[in-house]
Amino acid sequence: MKTIPPPCPEPETTKYFRSIESLENSPEARAWVDREFPAGASENEGDFNRRDFMKLMSASMALAGAGILGSGCRKPEQHIYPFAKLPDDYVHGVSKFYATAFPTRNGAIPLLVKSHEGRPTKVEGNPEHPDSNGGTDVFAQASILSLYDPDRAQFNGPREAALTKLGDIATKFSANQGAGLAFLLERGTSPSRNRLQLAIQQKFSAAKFYAYEPVDFDIHRQAATTAVGRSVTPYFKYDQAKAILSLDCDFLGGDGESHLNMRDFSKSRRASKDAMNRLYVAEALMSQTGMSADHRLRVPSSQVIAIAAAIAAKLVAGFDASKIPLPAGVDAKWVEECANDLKAGGATSLVVAGYRQPLAVHLLAHAINGALGALGKTVEFRETPDLKEQGIAALAESLNKGEVDTLVILGGNPVYNAPADLNWAVTQRKAKTVVRLGYYEDETSAVADLNLPAAHYLESWGDVKTADGTTVIVQPLIQPLFGGLTELEVLARIGGLAEMDAYKITRETSGLGEEAWKKALHDGFVANTASKPVAVTFNPAVLAPALASVTVSAPSKENLEVIFARDYSVDDGRWANNGWLVEVPDPVTKMTWDNAVLVSRKTAEELGVKNTQFVELALAGKTVRAPVWVVPGMANHTLGLPLGFGRAKGGRIANFNGKQVGFDFYPLRNAANQGFAIGAKISPVAEQYSFACTQDHWSLEGRPIIREIIPKQVGDPKAVEAMDFPPPPGGNQSLYPNPFDAIKAKGLHQWGMAIDLNTCVGCNACVIACQSENNVPVVGKDQVRRGREMLWLRIDRYFTGTPAAEKIRSEKNEVLQPDWDQYKQTWIDDPQVVTQPMMCQHCEAAPCESVCPVNATVHDEEGLNLMVYNRCVGTRYCSNNCPWKVRRFNYFDYTKRPITNLYKPTLTFKPTKPEDEFELLKLARNPDVTVRMRGVMEKCTFCVQRIEGAKIAQKVKAGQSADVIVRDGTIKTACQQACPAESITFGDINDPKSAVSLAKADSRNYTTLEFLYTKPRLTYLARVRNQNEKMPDYHPMPFTSQVYSDHSGGHESGGGHGGGTNGAPKKEGAPH
Amino acid sequence: MASTANKLVLQDPPRELEREPLVANHRSIGWISDAVCRVTEDKVPLWWWLAFVPSVIFMGILGLMLGYQITTGVGVWGNHHPEMWGWDIINFVWWIGIGHAGTLISAILFLLRQKWRTGVNRAAEAMTIFAVMCAGIFPAVHVGRVWYDWWLFPIPNPYNLWPQFRSPLMWDVFAVSTYFTVSALFWYVGLVPDLAIIRDRAKTKIKKIAYGLLSLGWSGSNRHWSNYEKCYLILAGVSTPLVLSVHSIVSLDFAVSQLPGWHTTIFPPYFVAGAIFSGFGMVLTLLLPLRKLLKLEDLITMRHVDLMCKVTLATGSIVGYAYCMEFFIAWYGGNPYERFTFMNRAFGPYGWSYFLMFACNVITPQFFWFKWIRQNVWVVFILSIFVNIGMWFERFVIVVTSLHRDFLPSSWGYYKPTIVDIMTYLGTFGLFFTLFLLFLRFAPVIAIGEVKAITPYADPHHPLGGAKGGHH
Repeated sequence: MKTIPPPCPEPETTKYFRSIESLENSPEARAWVDREFPAGASENEGDFNRRDFMKLMSASMALAGAGILGSGCRKPEQHIYPFAKLPDDYVHGVSKFYATAFPTRNGAIPLLVKSHEGRPTKVEGNPEHPDSNGGTDVFAQASILSLYDPDRAQFNGPREAALTKLGDIATKFSANQGAGLAFLLERGTSPSRNRLQLAIQQKFSAAKFYAYEPVDFDIHRQAATTAVGRSVTPYFKYDQAKAILSLDCDFLGGDGESHLNMRDFSKSRRASKDAMNRLYVAEALMSQTGMSADHRLRVPSSQVIAIAAAIAAKLVAGFDASKIPLPAGVDAKWVEECANDLKAGGATSLVVAGYRQPLAVHLLAHAINGALGALGKTVEFRETPDLKEQGIAALAESLNKGEVDTLVILGGNPVYNAPADLNWAVTQRKAKTVVRLGYYEDETSAVADLNLPAAHYLESWGDVKTADGTTVIVQPLIQPLFGGLTELEVLARIGGLAEMDAYKITRETSGLGEEAWKKALHDGFVANTASKPVAVTFNPAVLAPALASVTVSAPSKENLEVIFARDYSVDDGRWANNGWLVEVPDPVTKMTWDNAVLVSRKTAEELGVKNTQFVELALAGKTVRAPVWVVPGMANHTLGLPLGFGRAKGGRIANFNGKQVGFDFYPLRNAANQGFAIGAKISPVAEQYSFACTQDHWSLEGRPIIREIIPKQVGDPKAVEAMDFPPPPGGNQSLYPNPFDAIKAKGLHQWGMAIDLNTCVGCNACVIACQSENNVPVVGKDQVRRGREMLWLRIDRYFTGTPAAEKIRSEKNEVLQPDWDQYKQTWIDDPQVVTQPMMCQHCEAAPCESVCPVNATVHDEEGLNLMVYNRCVGTRYCSNNCPWKVRRFNYFDYTKRPITNLYKPTLTFKPTKPEDEFELLKLARNPDVTVRMRGVMEKCTFCVQRIEGAKIAQKVKAGQSADVIVRDGTIKTACQQACPAESITFGDINDPKSAVSLAKADSRNYTTLEFLYTKPRLTYLARVRNQNEKMPDYHPMPFTSQVYSDHSGGHESGGGHGGGTNGAPKKEGAPH
Repeated sequence: MASTANKLVLQDPPRELEREPLVANHRSIGWISDAVCRVTEDKVPLWWWLAFVPSVIFMGILGLMLGYQITTGVGVWGNHHPEMWGWDIINFVWWIGIGHAGTLISAILFLLRQKWRTGVNRAAEAMTIFAVMCAGIFPAVHVGRVWYDWWLFPIPNPYNLWPQFRSPLMWDVFAVSTYFTVSALFWYVGLVPDLAIIRDRAKTKIKKIAYGLLSLGWSGSNRHWSNYEKCYLILAGVSTPLVLSVHSIVSLDFAVSQLPGWHTTIFPPYFVAGAIFSGFGMVLTLLLPLRKLLKLEDLITMRHVDLMCKVTLATGSIVGYAYCMEFFIAWYGGNPYERFTFMNRAFGPYGWSYFLMFACNVITPQFFWFKWIRQNVWVVFILSIFVNIGMWFERFVIVVTSLHRDFLPSSWGYYKPTIVDIMTYLGTFGLFFTLFLLFLRFAPVIAIGEVKAITPYADPHHPLGGAKGGHH
């Protein structure tokens, strides 16, 4: 394994010579002239023999030969430098973990970050934190790559000059109490920032603070504050909730703090006969939450309020919903039975509203929760400071009036994402001076006067509060790579405060003594700082005014609804230059490197647009040209517009190959309709677009790869086993014994994994964790389009139609249609969705191993299917023979070439800027994992580097004793570590008490493609679909089971079980 | 002359029993030598240059394409996840299949004493060797790291690397290299007496030396002929199992895997039949224009064409049977994955390729039931091209349609070749035709000695033949 050494110190001064004469007169030159032979020539005299000569000559011949062959086949030239002095407390090659936190808009994710030789390489959740299980989200995992982004903003001039200018601003405004000074902030929870903000307000009483987030979760706080009449934030306790209704709230995905919600949701989702939660979702877009729903009602976003009102009418005493009738096409029974179920749950029910929904919907949700008695039970309210920052519209007004002299923009990118009607690029210029602290040189910095590079959170001291209110210190792991500044530093300087050092500010805010501070840094949180829930009651008086202005108009073909959605990969655009995130397949559409106008099948048909066809989308006088993508389960007459793409100025990834990646929908978004708007029109354009989608096929085709059961069947192993392929007469017998069975006896451990499909929501955190841990390269849109993405772990997402729709489909033989035509098929309208993390199954009788001609993929005695990169020639047969298709081939030198230049012939290819293209990104790599070259196959290793690390540590600990068995729970694979839902279990299956053995002993445990008898070490636990029998969309069997049953009924000549609607997938054993 | 000869014959056999002679127009032995050697001695005809120049250009393109692919990466081709093999393996199997007719004609038909083989065996063997050369390129360069190809050979080395003999790719290495070696030897041994004829007729010094060296001092003595015949017979014996083994083993590349559509026991015999079918298709494609251009209609007669059409018909029908049997087994076997694969083959997104294959390989040869079709060179030529296309698509269907929709619907994909794939394939035609045209120009295209041996004059019992003093 290559280790990247710390940078070698530069020579102190460069030596120049002024003239030939001075050079000639230098002592070295004199010595050269005086000597007959050059230095070193004579030294060889004694021992320069024939062998040395041959060595030299053969080496130079070999080099000459390599030169002729071209750099394509040449070994790279590398230099290593030793440490002259070893720093204290440093062991080369041993990584360290530091506690810190990833700040989010309304919270933070507590982290432990791994550091190798002084550079952070991997982000892991901090399991010690009281409100965390060590799970993270996809953004926290990917944030490490942004640290080493070569496109990060840098100082345009000397750093000191810029800092002086900040000091000048402080001096200037100290004269007039800050009149004309305005700050535009992002949302955040930093106590230090709050403190500085107050300090500045005290000093500059006329200075104004504004806050803007294009995707703003502050509505939850605002609604809660309005609902209960004091400044509080809601804290939803999904682990306590047994019946959950989401009103367009993607709490498992796009809404705030989803990692936390996933953890809590999965707790009450654990499979059981009666204690499992049940999730109702009413939403327009297919979301991660919608994919996990037991009952999903697709309604346009603008109609969600009607659903909320209808439910409230059933549950809230004295509430009259007659003014807001149910939209046409919504089954009143759905609403009624849902309300009944919530009522039955009482205090264990929970209604949540999404951030895109207006205040009225949030208030209705609180009203229902109040009526159910859930306030304080499944939703807590925690005191929070109300800083009364104004919105960006107020700032625009102020700018237009010419009231702002100096505008300080801390983070954010308003020129790109501010409401279109504010015309921000022009409005911003109305301030005399614009100071901008930005992470990139982006659209906003282009119209700013003083640009300051922002520090990454891993470079800066700071503090944040997690959702439960616990203070977490943001601890840097590395000096700012480009000398970047933190918000705190800029605020302190502009405020002319006494203390301008971020560390000291943070320390001062914490108020901790030396030992307590050290402990807080070590643990990653300040103990016992969680904010206490306050007892509140819902104030029904707020409901009437909020609902007074509500008018619900239904969207139609000519009057379409658009929804501005937070993108699952690039958020609001802040991650648009992060290659991992841009390339990670969207959890719903499986699209990479793009967004699109998301539309339902029926709407596309009505509008006469084909999938991937361009349309002109017009809304309130603005038009955007973008292609459409049909998404199963979308509400009709609704268009989903994921934000964050189409960046005009974003960096190498965001402007890949000089072109904008994806499409920018911000121009359609006005201050008044940040969530959704009605009144859009579409006109098709005769042009197709090419998407890079990683999963072209939507249907599971009735194959029992993902198995689903109903709660009744939990604990009944036959329910899942029944979907196994019937064994041949005489049972499963092998012609000859598997050689691995003998080798297995030698292994100390036998590694295995189990994945609980019941709690997986498909959030991608594991995918990025794997990418980060295993140095998986980014390959670019073109390569993804060709199916060459390198992800070792992917999440398969399947849609299944209603039994009736599937029946029509198989009668029409749509199964055999090309994938590009499936968007026309009717079965996709109201699908159930299942997700499945898919990676190397580590088969005991691995089909990849037997076909490799050069022994490049082999088994170890502990059951790992290993890939020996050095030995791989690249015949790719292993991939062809892998039934799960989880092997990935390096078609190009993805790690050595810029991905824009993959196709350039090697002989003519000259890397343009090798220093910033590669050197910086190399720092993000994990030195424990080989970086693969082109032409070799790679795949999931169960994080063999972590396994070996743990084994070595255990051996060291064991010393002379025989205690060399690694304890259960010591090893967590990267995916397992990142999973907030704790769906992944890994460990030693030799140990019957290990977590993985217990998981595998579960009645829901099954093997995919078990009939191939490859004996995978990775097994899955069947998903449980917990439907309410009284609901109109109730079906006794999950769709996957039903379709499987219908399909297999065919191949077993219809015997025994077929359309069993008795509430169970085949109860009898496998037929013969 | 004829009158004296007729007097010696008691009676002609009935017309319908008379076999068409293998050398038409009662050509004399001297004429045969002249006619064949003339090809190498006359001024280079214009058509030769017209064919040779583009061939060399395409060969150059092949070199460029391979150079680009080797230095840049396999990614310049269209294969991807899940179809990790594409045109590379399709072309490999296709060329290998073509290489089957030569050895079948030279070895098996020799052992079966099928005299008609003599007219076509030399060209067919040359075709075999060149086709195997074209084929060999693909497995060698389709791998990710070409410079480590030697790891596939059992060469002792300091890394303690040893091939993995369970892999059918290893069997392939041995099968193909053995086949090539034996075919080349067989071909060369057969050439020796004929090279000596050219040597004896050579007028320039260079030719004399070159052919002198190549003909290994052949003097035509009885001892030489005796040794030669023994050697030839042994080589024919050695080659015969190879005809069956090579394509059986190539088929095991697929059959050993567990991919539905590949994992089937019918593959070895079905591949061998298909290979012979495609080989004869290619022989017809090549020899029909050649007999005209080289004015060898008397040596490669319509009877030869007729017989080759019949072989094509027989093997084509076996192939058609295999297609049907695959479907039957897919249904009868009861494995839904298997069943889906075959339904998808015929009716899925690649259905067009299946029907193209079926039409070319199953329907085309059925025309050869009719004698008037077998006798019409133009129709036979066109049908033989359909056979070549059909057999290419057979490999396409096997490789691509099986891989593109396998077990997990999540990884289903659609394969498209790139321009580099296409140009590489066309480039192998350049290589093939360059070599073949050089062969036409510099080596006797028909086995002179053997053809002479099947003329009536060589038969001591024939009225015109042997010791009884026939004509020379």
